[in-house]
Amino acid sequence: MQRILIIEDNPMVTRSLEFKLKKDGYEVVVAEDGRKAIKVLDEETFDLILTDLMLPFVTGTQIIEHIKNKYPKIPVIVLSTSTQEDIITDAFKMGVDDFITKPFSPSELSLRVKRTLSK
Amino acid sequence: MMLNTLLELEDWPAVLKVNLVLSIFFLILTILFVGLVLYLRIQKNFKEAHRKKLESKFIDFTSIFLFDPSINKSSALAEFKFDNLKSSYDYKILIKQVLIFDENLKGESTALIKEIFDGMGLHRFLLKDLKRREWFNKARALFAFSKLGIAVPDHLIIPLLQSKRIELRQHAILYFLNTSKTDPLVFLDTLKGKLTLWQQVLIENSLKSFEVEIPDFSRWLNHKEDSIVVFCIKMILSFNQFQNIPFLIECLDHSSEDVRYQAIQVLQAMEVYEALQLMVAHFPEETAANKRSILYAISKIGTYKDLQTLVPHIHKEEVNLQIDFYKISGQFGEGVPVKKLLNIETISKDWEDFQEYSINSGIGA
Repeated sequence: MQRILIIEDNPMVTRSLEFKLKKDGYEVVVAEDGRKAIKVLDEETFDLILTDLMLPFVTGTQIIEHIKNKYPKIPVIVLSTSTQEDIITDAFKMGVDDFITKPFSPSELSLRVKRTLSK
Repeated sequence: MMLNTLLELEDWPAVLKVNLVLSIFFLILTILFVGLVLYLRIQKNFKEAHRKKLESKFIDFTSIFLFDPSINKSSALAEFKFDNLKSSYDYKILIKQVLIFDENLKGESTALIKEIFDGMGLHRFLLKDLKRREWFNKARALFAFSKLGIAVPDHLIIPLLQSKRIELRQHAILYFLNTSKTDPLVFLDTLKGKLTLWQQVLIENSLKSFEVEIPDFSRWLNHKEDSIVVFCIKMILSFNQFQNIPFLIECLDHSSEDVRYQAIQVLQAMEVYEALQLMVAHFPEETAANKRSILYAISKIGTYKDLQTLVPHIHKEEVNLQIDFYKISGQFGEGVPVKKLLNIETISKDWEDFQEYSINSGIGA
């Protein structure tokens, strides 16, 4: 079973995403902040990471840098409220595989996860 | 022993007795106060724990409702409502959560979230809030309806546009902008009182950011409220409604100085040269601010000849206008000795000479 790490501090988003992705057949782990995310990443292995950019303690950008340095093969999808072009461009420059803006459609997200994992 | 002490108390001086009574009174008061604080704190903790528990249950319920097609939706809704919605506080908690869901999810989830909103009776609860006397209840209901884009009967909202509370007026405006996709400014028809600058900014930003059909602003150019007419003139420019230029030209004859001022500004920005003739014709009767505005309109879309026709209508005592006139003359580069004429000591005298020269040379008037 493919494993997905969700890094997001909004319980509504994490719980609904967790439910949806589990329903789609993935194993899901949730980290509510950046510190927990880094700890989990160092202890476990994942096939995909879904992260917000605005996070407590360690920002999403720092987490992406950490992932790309230590685990460059794990694909990353950003889930953010930001629609600013420069933020999206910067994220892609850092090597993220996809950028989804909130509000998001859960079925669209599910398809994008599937597509990213099949690459 | 106790009896002895009580008997001894009777022998005490009055001052000590009063002192003792007051001490006991304040001790009881302090105990009651501390008790009340503790009670409120414990109650708050219980409320907080209840809120977290209900929020958590609701998030789980909504996730299942949204993503599990196998559940019987109507019975699940009824069951959740029966088990969990006991007080108005519970309703308020769920309304907040529904708004958070709506803010984060889109697509097929939006319709399902609205189904939850109706099925849980949150819609009915907010309609009751809208009819309550307290402004904050009304504001909360308006906010929720406008955020979710749910339309309610107009007669419940229109009176709020006239409310004394600015928060309610703003929310009522936002409600119309959010819920009416085809006629988002319908509330302007019935709006009484001034449309403040903040409200104008709010409406303009909303029109730019919401997916609504931009209305034809000429519809309100004959509105009784001048501030609404001014706003619509600005919006004609902002949304490039060139088809409304003839109506803008008519606004140059408006009885309000502010409306005429805005019309001059917008006609100049839209580069409507045909409007200059009317502006120049109105110049002698215009207010000082509008005269200045016409001068600058000429500097942008007129000619030096247009400017010269105004010379007889700028009076000796209108020094500020004379300064503006010279500055604009300088822009046309027609050889007027602007620097020399701009001497504040002699400007009025020089203006008379300049007027005479202009009239004699057959340019002015």
